Parts: sequence; C-alpha cells; structure tokens
Amino acid sequence: MAVAKGKKERIRRGEEDKVSILLEDLASLESYARDLFSFLPLPVCLISAIGIILDANPSFEELSGYRLEEIIGKPAEEVFDKGRLGEISKQTLEKGFVRAEELSIFTKNKKEILGSASATLRKTEEGEIVGYFLGFFNLAGIKKREKELRETQVALANILEDVEEARAKAEEEKNKTGAIIINLTDGILVFGEEDKLSLMNPLAEKFFDIKARDLIDRPISELSTFPTLKPLIKVLTEEVGEIFRKEVSLKKDLTLEMSAVPVLRKKERIGNLIILHDITREKLVEKMKTEFVSLAAHQLRTPLSAIKWTLKMLLDGDLGKITEEQRDFITKTYQSNERMITLINNLLDITRIEEGRYIYKPALTEFEPIVQFVVDSCKGEAERKKIKIEFRKPKKKSRRAMLDIEKIRLAVENLLDNAIKYTQAGGRVIVSLKNTPKEIELSVKDSGVGIPKDQQGRVFAKFFRGANVIRMATEGTGLGLFITKNIIEAHGGRIWFESEEGKGTTFYLALPIKEEFEGFLREF
Amino acid sequence: MKGIAKEEVQKLMEVKGETRGVTLTIDRDYILKNKGEEGLKKVEEELGELGYPIKYKEIETFGYYPVGLRALSLLAIKKVFDFDDKKIEEIGFFGTRVSLVAKFFIKYISSVPKVFLREGQKIWRKHWTIGRLVPIEFNKEKKYAVLQLKDFNLHPIYCIFLRGYMSGLFSLIIKSPQITCQERKCPFKGDEYHEYLIKWQ
Repeated sequence: MAVAKGKKERIRRGEEDKVSILLEDLASLESYARDLFSFLPLPVCLISAIGIILDANPSFEELSGYRLEEIIGKPAEEVFDKGRLGEISKQTLEKGFVRAEELSIFTKNKKEILGSASATLRKTEEGEIVGYFLGFFNLAGIKKREKELRETQVALANILEDVEEARAKAEEEKNKTGAIIINLTDGILVFGEEDKLSLMNPLAEKFFDIKARDLIDRPISELSTFPTLKPLIKVLTEEVGEIFRKEVSLKKDLTLEMSAVPVLRKKERIGNLIILHDITREKLVEKMKTEFVSLAAHQLRTPLSAIKWTLKMLLDGDLGKITEEQRDFITKTYQSNERMITLINNLLDITRIEEGRYIYKPALTEFEPIVQFVVDSCKGEAERKKIKIEFRKPKKKSRRAMLDIEKIRLAVENLLDNAIKYTQAGGRVIVSLKNTPKEIELSVKDSGVGIPKDQQGRVFAKFFRGANVIRMATEGTGLGLFITKNIIEAHGGRIWFESEEGKGTTFYLALPIKEEFEGFLREF
Repeated sequence: MKGIAKEEVQKLMEVKGETRGVTLTIDRDYILKNKGEEGLKKVEEELGELGYPIKYKEIETFGYYPVGLRALSLLAIKKVFDFDDKKIEEIGFFGTRVSLVAKFFIKYISSVPKVFLREGQKIWRKHWTIGRLVPIEFNKEKKYAVLQLKDFNLHPIYCIFLRGYMSGLFSLIIKSPQITCQERKCPFKGDEYHEYLIKWQ
C-alpha cells in the first residue's frame, strides 16, 4: 500500500516537473513572440475579418500617432483609406494574401501618409479566418523623392532648353565672329592652351603663304619649322611682354605691325591673340617722306653752307670794310643761317635714324670727360642767362663705356641746352654723374618751367615742344630729345625724366658700363 | 483612501482557486505605461506592506497564482494612486488591448456567436480555476448580450475591472462606436451570481 503511494507520488512529481518545463518554454516563446512583434521596424497590424484592428506593433503606433489602447478595437476604415482597404481586405480574404498595394493611412493628427501595404490571412487551426496581418511600408519619403526628382527633371528640362537656346545664340555669335574674323582686313592668329595655334584667319594664311589646316593645334615651338613663320615666331618667343606692338618684316614688300593681346578668362590668361596689320604701304610712304626730307635737307645744306661762309667772310672784313649797322644785319643773318643749318642737320640725323643709317662708332671711353666738355662749353650761355651751372662728379674714378663720343656728346648737349634754355635767369642747373654697379647714370636737373603733366607722354616724340615753352618764344626744333633718346637707346642705355610744371625737370640717362655693353654689342 | 484592512486581505487570500500570471501582468503593463517604473515600485511596496511582496516583473505569464492576489493587486493600485471605479474599469479595458489573454481571445473571434457561446467559457477556464462564464443571450438585432459569471466571489473591485474588460472584449468583435457593460447582478449585492449586460450601438 505504502509502495503504491510512493509510486503515485513519484508520478505526480514527474508530471509537475513536465508542467514546469512546459511553462518555462511557453514563457520563453511568449517573450520571443512579443519581441519579434515589438521590435519589427515595419508597421504591422492585425485586422479582423469584420474590419476591426485587433493588434498593432510599436512601429504602427509610432506611424499612426495612436496609442495602442486607442488603436486596438478601432474600425480599420477610420485609420486607412476606406476604399483601398476594402479592396485589399477583399483580395486578402479571397486569395490569402496581397502584396505591395498602394494604401493611405490617416494619422491621429489627420495627416495622410501614402504607403505600400501587404497583407496575409490569419486562420485558426480549424481553418477559420481570424483576420489578416497588414504590413505598411511608408512611401512618403520615396514619394517625396519621386516628386523632387520629377521637379528636378522639369528643372533640368528647362535648363536644357535654356542651354539649347544659349547654345543656338552662341552658335550664331560664333558664326558672326567667324565671319568677322574671316573678312577682317587684319591677319588674326590665336594661340590657346599650351601655346597651340587654335585659329588663323584667311588673311593671315595669305601673309604667310600657308594653310591654316597645316598649323592648327600645333604648338608654337613647331611653327618655327615653317620658313615663312620664322620671323613672327622669333618675335613671339622673345618678346614676353603682356601687350606689345612690333613691326615684323616678312618679305621685301610685306611689313606687318604685330600686336599681341592676352586672352583672359576671369583674369586668367588662357591664350594670346595676335593681330597682324599690314603696314607695308605706310612704311613705303614713310620711307618716301624720309627720303624726300633727306634729299631736301642735303640740297638745302649746300647753299646754306655757302651762305654761311660768305657771311663769315663779310663779318671778318675779308670782302672789305662794313659799317656797324651792316655788321648788325649780317650778324643776325649769320645766326639765322646757323639755326637753319642746325635744323637741317637735325633733320638729316632723324632721316638717318629712321632709315637705320645713324652710324655709331663706339670706342671704350670714359664718360666723365665728355660731360665735362659739354658743361664747359655751356658755361658761357649759362652765365649770359645768369644761371648757375654745377657739375657733381663721383669721387671714384670714372667708369668706361663703349661710346660713340660724337653722338653721346650731342645727346648730353641737347639735355644741357634744354635745361639752360628753359630755366629763367637766377635759376640753377645741376649736372650729376654717378656710377652704379652696372651703369653710368647722368642726371641734368634744372629749376626751369617744367613739362605740363598732360604732355609728358609725348616728350620724346618728333617735333614735340611743350605748350608752355612755345609761349616763352624760345628757339627750338622739337627734335633734340627724339635724337637724344635714339642715341642713348642705340648705346643700349635708358633715358627718362621727372618733371613738375613750374618747378623744374630732371632728365636721367643710364649707359651700360663695358661688361654690360659687350653683351649688348654682340646683339648690335 | 483608507488603508486595506488586514482582515480583508486575509479573507481575500483565503479564497480558493488560482489564476494565470497573465491576468496580473495587465496591472503591471497599465501602471508602467501610465505611472512608470516609480509607480510600479510604489504598488510593489504597498503589496509588501500587506504581506505579499510581489515583483511584477518576475510574474510568469503562464504560471498559476492565488486568485486573491489578483484582487489584492487592484486594491493596492487603487490605494496608491487613489483610483476611482472609472480608473479600475479603464484597467480592465486596457487589459483587452495589451494582455496575452486578449491575444488568445483574438484567435476565437472569427464569429460573434461562436465566441459568445463557446469560446468565452473556454478562455475563462484557461485562465481561472474557479468560476464559470455562462452565455445567456446574444441579440444581434437589439444589440445586447447577457453573460453570467457563476461561482466566482472574489472581491467587488474585480467586478468593476470585469466591466471594463467585457467592454473591451466586445469592442474587438462588434463594430460599434460605443459599447457599455453593466453588472446587473452581483453576489456582493445578495445575488447568486454576476450578470453582465453588454450593449452596443
């Protein structure tokens, strides 16, 4: 009896253990099911066959804005788009599932969210329909992006339209520009990136007797292999200035004035525009004029010299005694004749300069004695005009330079003459000489009338005379500074000035000392 | 709110029968959602003072607990938060939204008469070892139903809870903007059993 009782007890305990294990498993299963439903990121709800929301997960709560206790028991048609939900519900109940059907949900705060719904039928073990699970995929973001994309598409289409319009306009402009370039009376060359030739108009082709198609896209370095282009390329590669003008003689009967202009895009240089203007005719006319002046001057100088010597003989009494009155007249005539000879000589110098025949005879010479000579020779005139003249020499020994003594003397004379001529009585002229490591620098400073600011740009031009000095009725041909500049530059030197009207002017000239001059001579 | 008398607690805990832990988790979830962890702690302290230091989070959903504890949990909540009957009813309604009992119930709601006539009793038996849920009438046309709960004399507070619970359950099976539940018979008022009248629109 006791054995049977013990056995029964064991069986009971065994059953209790089994129940306990089953309960544990159930609790785990419940926890798993709860987690699965709770942490699912997709909003899901269970809708009964009669359309009542029976359950929902936290994602659905979040999307709809309803709390769980509010949403459960709520007719689904109050939450979803009634018409669409009816169709989805019908299809799900018939087919057992629905996939990715468009459906709107209305949130608690009356906001409509468009999404994609999928539904699966839920049945009991006996096969009876409980309802269906409905998963809702929020398409609001996608729809928004779709809308943005459509808007972007429209905007792009508009931009494309604008671009096309702009392109057509640009094409028209290009054609116009092309026509202008083709028909231009100047030759045009355009060098683009990496100095490659990108454009050559027909006139340029004619100048160089070459076809553009053979040159386009070739770099400048390659173009020098074409003989007719050599002079141009030489200038282009040697001249590095931003904008410059240069005469280029291509053939005996063809002289071009070449202008180079940088092509800029947002201040960045993207190429060079070369304009070639045919100045052959101008050069010819100029040459003829120079020849005429030269001829006229030569023709005039001979009789003027004869007049000079005749007047000299009269003044010296070689042709008999003359009265004082006669001497006065003849002296004035002699002086006028002298001025005429000076003018003729200047004109001849200019024609020589222009014809490139202003012959220089450089020799290694000290500059200081030349300046001293000129200062000394001007002292008489300065004293007569009551102008104090001062020569400031460097303490160190004078440097030597390759100089054409006669021409340099003329240049210094011109500067000093001007200084004395345009300085009032009681004024002062200071001649200073100084040596720099590479140059000998001379300055001639006066306390004269100065050069009007608006005329300073033309000081070295032929026949230039300042408006203020013309009013002073001083003598002058307006050729002195032109000749001086040419002389100095022919020596490889530089000339410049500083001036203030009413206060005075300082002219500077710098000549290279021997070492520098030798380099210059090699090119000369 | 006056305290819970020890005699009342003792009497309650002497009621025979057990209930599944899932019925107690309704209280836990409601307090957590509406009063937070702090609120739950207060209820646990109150139960501890009454001699039943329950840890709600350790309640096993499918485990069995004394039926008295179910009513005691509601009494402690009522005391701690000074809840009126409406709030207790709200806990009942809330239970049908979150508790696993309701989730099980969902399975049987394919047709209202079936739920009413058969599955209600079955579910009750799954969760309580005492009491019988007896369907009396279901009038679809007049929109009302009558249910009786027999052999279940736990505590009047649970009668209030059940009013909310019944309303909640019927809202899952009947599409209506308003569902009410009235206890028209109660053993604590001298009747033999509980009788609930559920009406809808």
